[in-house]
Amino acid sequence: MIYFDSAATSFQKPASVAAAMWEALASMSSPGRGGYPAAARAADTAFQCRSELAELFGLKNPEQVVFTLNATHALNIAIKSLVPPGGRAVVSGYEHNAVTRPLEALGAKISVAAAPLFVPEAVTEAFDRLIIPGTDAVICSHVSNVFGFVQPIEEIGAVCRSRGVPFIVDASQSAGILPLDMESLGAAFAAMPGHKGLYGPQGTGVLLCREDVPANPLLEGGTGSQSIQQRMPDFLPDRLEAGTLNMPGIAGLLAGVRYVRRGGVDKILAHEKHLTQMAVQGLETMPGLRLFASPGLRHQVGVLSLTAEGADVENIGSALAERGIAVRAGIHCAPYAHRTAGTLDTGTVRISFSDFNTPEEVARLLRALQGVLGRGF
Amino acid sequence: MEHYIILARSITYAQRMQKSLGRAGVRCHIFRPPRDLTDMGCAYAVRVAVPHLPEALAALHRDGLDPVQIFLFQKGLYQEVEA
Repeated sequence: MIYFDSAATSFQKPASVAAAMWEALASMSSPGRGGYPAAARAADTAFQCRSELAELFGLKNPEQVVFTLNATHALNIAIKSLVPPGGRAVVSGYEHNAVTRPLEALGAKISVAAAPLFVPEAVTEAFDRLIIPGTDAVICSHVSNVFGFVQPIEEIGAVCRSRGVPFIVDASQSAGILPLDMESLGAAFAAMPGHKGLYGPQGTGVLLCREDVPANPLLEGGTGSQSIQQRMPDFLPDRLEAGTLNMPGIAGLLAGVRYVRRGGVDKILAHEKHLTQMAVQGLETMPGLRLFASPGLRHQVGVLSLTAEGADVENIGSALAERGIAVRAGIHCAPYAHRTAGTLDTGTVRISFSDFNTPEEVARLLRALQGVLGRGF
Repeated sequence: MEHYIILARSITYAQRMQKSLGRAGVRCHIFRPPRDLTDMGCAYAVRVAVPHLPEALAALHRDGLDPVQIFLFQKGLYQEVEA
């Protein structure tokens, strides 16, 4: 199978990830639950993972790194810590349901800073207009999961700081691919999966927390600390990590993070952009296709959407799957993004890349698409 | 053998203390202190040799790490001491 669905989950992982997970299963119990060697090994691995994530994302203190089940879990903690029921939030026009559904569940008043694709200045202007007194939080995806649009989080962060409104960054598509520095961004929280650009296993996620922003747990339970007290501890990461940690997942995530740091975020980005550019050049020559690409990929990373005249996107996805090529068709859990881009009625076919894809695979995708579109639907 | 134990609020905090002390060249190790040393239950601590307490405290202070409590272990008994 040729895999082009890394915006959902990176499927190919470094060999070190599986090895680390196996090692964890064979040798680790749970951190903070005892002083015996298996618990100590688990504690060392969890601490090492927190420390390396803190270094990668510009945090001074590894306690500000909280392990979660996935980015959705992390976003729920962040949003529900800052937005009270019936509160007010401003989001971009390219948000995922992981942001908008928690807000809906809170009955929040949602203002959408909608702006055309690949025009970051318009995004900043829209946020600038909508962030008014009484806004509880601003939430913005760093990169659109549908279109790969890189949104101007530094500028939005600056607007938030000037208005004193907390900022939540959804780094689901950018962690491990674009630089992200929490210190300079001043964001209250950044949420990310472990299983996409960080190459960890599914079932891992991370919430980066600013030290002075109060965070409320979604779950209460054992933390291995202050066990007599019946309230959750008031310090991180324990406050947000009730129950046993996913140690095989965290060990795998650490191996994935080390892979990213060893190769370098810049190198991974350059590789993915090269493949995206190659796909764009090939697809541009095919009649009847509508491509969503930023000129020169200036404001886009390795996620590319398309539609084809007269063809249902799901049929294209299925036809490619029959040819051994995995892409994602439909709405991508992001109706806000499709509404903003005008593709809510049709959805799109999404092609997304990872460090493990090759130019040969892109060439095969282009040939397969030509065949699929040539036969008609 | 006599030693000091420095109580931490959590395993992660104890690990930060260990890292800080390691940078300062103070050898220590993390362990779970006796139950009666904490009224909160389930704690972690770092153990340092008696002569190294001043440099240990200086290093922790430098890195902004606050011990919950400090105890001297002597003749089989723990006695709380001021930081």
